[in-house]
Amino acid sequence: MFKLNLKITLRNLWRNKTSSLINISGLAIGLASCLMLMLYVSYERSYDNHGKDAGQVYKVMTNFLDINKRIESTGGLTGNMIGPALKEDYPAVKAMSRYEWGGPKLIANGTKSFKKSGRFADADILNVFDYTFVSGNQKTALNEPNNVIVTESTAKLLFGTTDVLNKTVRFENKISLKITGVVKDIPGNSSVYFDFLMPWSLYQTQFDWVKEPAWTNFNWSTVVKLDPSTDIAQFNKEIKGLMEKKRPDSRAFVFVYPFNKLHLNGTFVNGKSIGGKIEEVRLFMGLGIGILLIACVNFMNMATAKSERRAKEVGIKKTIGATRGSLISQFLMESLVLTFCSAIMAIVIIELALPLFNNLLGIELGVSYSNAQLWAGLISVVLLTGLIAGSYPAFYLSSFNPVQILRKKGGKSQGQLISLRQLLVIGQFSFAVILIIATTVIYEQIQYIKNRPVGYKVDELVEMEQDGDLFDKFEVLKAKLLQSGAIISMAQSSTSMTKDGSNFTGMEWKGSTDADKLFTFNQIATTYDFIKTTGVKLLEGREFSTQFASDTAAVMVSRSAVKRMNLVNPVGQIVVFHGEKRTIVGVFDDFIWGSPAQVDRPMVIGFFQGWGGTVIMRLNPANAPVANLALIEKITKEVNPAYPVEVNYVDRLYAGKLNAQRILGVLANLFGGLAIFISCLGLFGLAAFSAEQRTKEIGVRKVLGASVGSLMQLLSLSFLKMVMIAILIGIPIANYIMNGWLRNFEIHTTINWLIIFLVAASTLGIALITVSLQTYKAAKTNPVQALKYE
Amino acid sequence: MIQLQNIEKYYANKGLKSYILRHVSTTIQQGEFVSIMGPSGAGKSTLLNILGMLEEPTYGSYEFMGENVVSLNERKRIELYRNHIGFVFQAYHLIDEMTVAENIEAPLLYKKVGSAERKSRVAEMLDRFNMVAKKDLFPNQLSGGQQQLVGIARALAAQPLIILADEPTGNLQSAQALQIMDLFKKLNEEENITIIQVTHSEINAGYGTRILHLLDGVISEDIQVVV
Repeated sequence: MFKLNLKITLRNLWRNKTSSLINISGLAIGLASCLMLMLYVSYERSYDNHGKDAGQVYKVMTNFLDINKRIESTGGLTGNMIGPALKEDYPAVKAMSRYEWGGPKLIANGTKSFKKSGRFADADILNVFDYTFVSGNQKTALNEPNNVIVTESTAKLLFGTTDVLNKTVRFENKISLKITGVVKDIPGNSSVYFDFLMPWSLYQTQFDWVKEPAWTNFNWSTVVKLDPSTDIAQFNKEIKGLMEKKRPDSRAFVFVYPFNKLHLNGTFVNGKSIGGKIEEVRLFMGLGIGILLIACVNFMNMATAKSERRAKEVGIKKTIGATRGSLISQFLMESLVLTFCSAIMAIVIIELALPLFNNLLGIELGVSYSNAQLWAGLISVVLLTGLIAGSYPAFYLSSFNPVQILRKKGGKSQGQLISLRQLLVIGQFSFAVILIIATTVIYEQIQYIKNRPVGYKVDELVEMEQDGDLFDKFEVLKAKLLQSGAIISMAQSSTSMTKDGSNFTGMEWKGSTDADKLFTFNQIATTYDFIKTTGVKLLEGREFSTQFASDTAAVMVSRSAVKRMNLVNPVGQIVVFHGEKRTIVGVFDDFIWGSPAQVDRPMVIGFFQGWGGTVIMRLNPANAPVANLALIEKITKEVNPAYPVEVNYVDRLYAGKLNAQRILGVLANLFGGLAIFISCLGLFGLAAFSAEQRTKEIGVRKVLGASVGSLMQLLSLSFLKMVMIAILIGIPIANYIMNGWLRNFEIHTTINWLIIFLVAASTLGIALITVSLQTYKAAKTNPVQALKYE
Repeated sequence: MIQLQNIEKYYANKGLKSYILRHVSTTIQQGEFVSIMGPSGAGKSTLLNILGMLEEPTYGSYEFMGENVVSLNERKRIELYRNHIGFVFQAYHLIDEMTVAENIEAPLLYKKVGSAERKSRVAEMLDRFNMVAKKDLFPNQLSGGQQQLVGIARALAAQPLIILADEPTGNLQSAQALQIMDLFKKLNEEENITIIQVTHSEINAGYGTRILHLLDGVISEDIQVVV
């Protein structure tokens, strides 16, 4: 029986090639989209979830209190004392490590030097995280200050082999380190990523300020591994008073939060996690399932539309002894065979599309075909899809009464079935309309914030990191570069023009109160030519100048800072900045420093000779940019030979800030487009069957004198009505959702009704074209053929 | 074998009952060859459907092999189809997606006949109906008469006690029709299979042993055919 059914299924597939293709490809696209999104979801969900003890690792978080002792904000950074204190006083803490942010650092084997992600951490980190050692001793690898652990790729990059134990590398062109361990590469979905790992003891010898015990200098991350039997709520209660005990003025308390949950649940309000990236992950899950359901709906619609043809088969089989159960299993098997074909096609699609998808999201998703779990997942998704898609046709078709079908021609039960099919189509198109509106709103928002004036001249502006000798030889470099003609201006800055994150409190000015001291200002530290180089607009006064020796104790303030401080004639006034009295010499216009969708804090730019980090340069517009860059690289290499030179265009860095929104936009666009495409495939199939069913009616009407136009209208109208209803349902839902999304941005556009109208019109247009392709064919057929048919 | 008692069938429409069958009572013995005749709309097909349990009478009792089968549940009814009843239709109603051999095999599959026996019975049927060469063709590749032969072969494959045929020759040319009728007669005489057919044709009815004339839902005549 099974064999015969299978054979008949395949014959049926072959016989109705068009509809099979529509069914299989629709379902395959749906499956591929769903699986791809599920891969992404599983990538995100397994973030920081590597190694067998991942569940026991917790991050020490800090809750900051306001004057009224209410929780004002929550941060992931701590001082350098909390970790050791926890380890010492609480037996539940089995291991503890501090680590710094792990930015690019120079590592070299002879002349082969690279800036790779290097991280300082306590030796105990090897007990917190489960690294896979290729060689070296996990217990002692970070015991000496001059030890370093490298990943396999780093080892290969530097030495061309992973057999590098006890070899020596040069760090920051200053110290030689001995490789005491080689570990497998850290997965991309780890928060504590590194290419090489160095001991905290080295960190302390490098920077004096790290050595100083700090409770309230929130610069580092601290992770602990707790005993599995620990009651976390109780533990958090116990450590709550720790900060206050050590530093009564700290206005902060710490708690631990599961490390593997932090990535997805990183948004804290009132000290409690209220979500975070998990919402995006849920959104993608919903999107994946939604698209798969649309494809399933297609399948159901096509199958029920074919019911007329299948009804006869059902009737006959019932009279020769088929039970309902055997018919149901036959139809389910048909849908499973179809789903199986789709799954194969979906895997092909995934293989082709995954590199693009990875590129788009900037992540490394891969399908490991040897993974049993993956196959189990895939098979269960396919089975489930087959069952969902096949259940309705199976139960519907098998319920036919044989005598009705066999005796009368066309035993279709009108009414209810039709409305259900219509309901499914309406649901499909509503979903597609919502996605398309979402796409356009996201696109509009991106355009809106993209078009905000940046506040400085991003074109021809480049940045590089101030590494190694560039600190001490800054003036030398500046003179040489200016002389070379590659640049027309250059300034030192504490941070990049496009990366906010440096701020301070404790500013005092004329008329400021104690509460004002708690107000947070953004800050940039620089020396001369900052405004000249960047093109930030100066409103009043002047920028720091070598002509005024007193400018080393001066500040510039932004327009919004003036407003905040309520100063009438700001230039010349004295303010207290980082505990020093300083004079305001200039007022500049606000510029976008952080997210273009957010209003930046008021800013103070202070003069600090020794506080650099970034070199900002304005290229000479008279030369070709490539020539300028080559010259900069050559000269910088001469001044600072140990470091590779990496010059970044500020406009590209700026564009990178819109990346998250851009990705969301592209994804919504892609999957919205797919949703429309799959829905139209379904509509195409339905229209074909409807036309086929009404062949006789069309023939009769033509004989009576109906024109092609009127027939097309007759056939298309019922479909267009459904699409119209779907649009009417989709618009308010999309409006509601996207208004909510827009509210996430401080600076946002409003939903443009003209665009919504265009979306509606184009959806209708696409549906009309799809249906017309079929109805035109039906309306053009020779009536004699149609009437002879019976 | 079959006992009908006061079978009535009507459709109520806006309070008016439109009768299709009234007071139909008859007994059909094992081995009879009954032809149901009558003008269009007399209720012939309805009566056959009731006999085949495809339709339920509104009123009356129907015993099939001593068992009351009015409002029999689906499972038991299918059991009867599998083991005792074969249907032959005017429009053949072969399954288009199956080959000739598969069509004949289908009822055996449902009856859960073992693979070896299935093979031999299908081969026997093909042999008997001279269709061995056509066993891998699909129904639409056959002529009407050949399709009806397959239909009968399919009905016979499950070795039924009774064949219900609704105008089996209605769509056929007369030569083919005669062939089918000869076949029925032979089955009836040699294998003692009960046959009930609905027909318009006096000639076809002549092959049977008994004719039931229906007129406006009532049995107007019940004639034994004298050979």
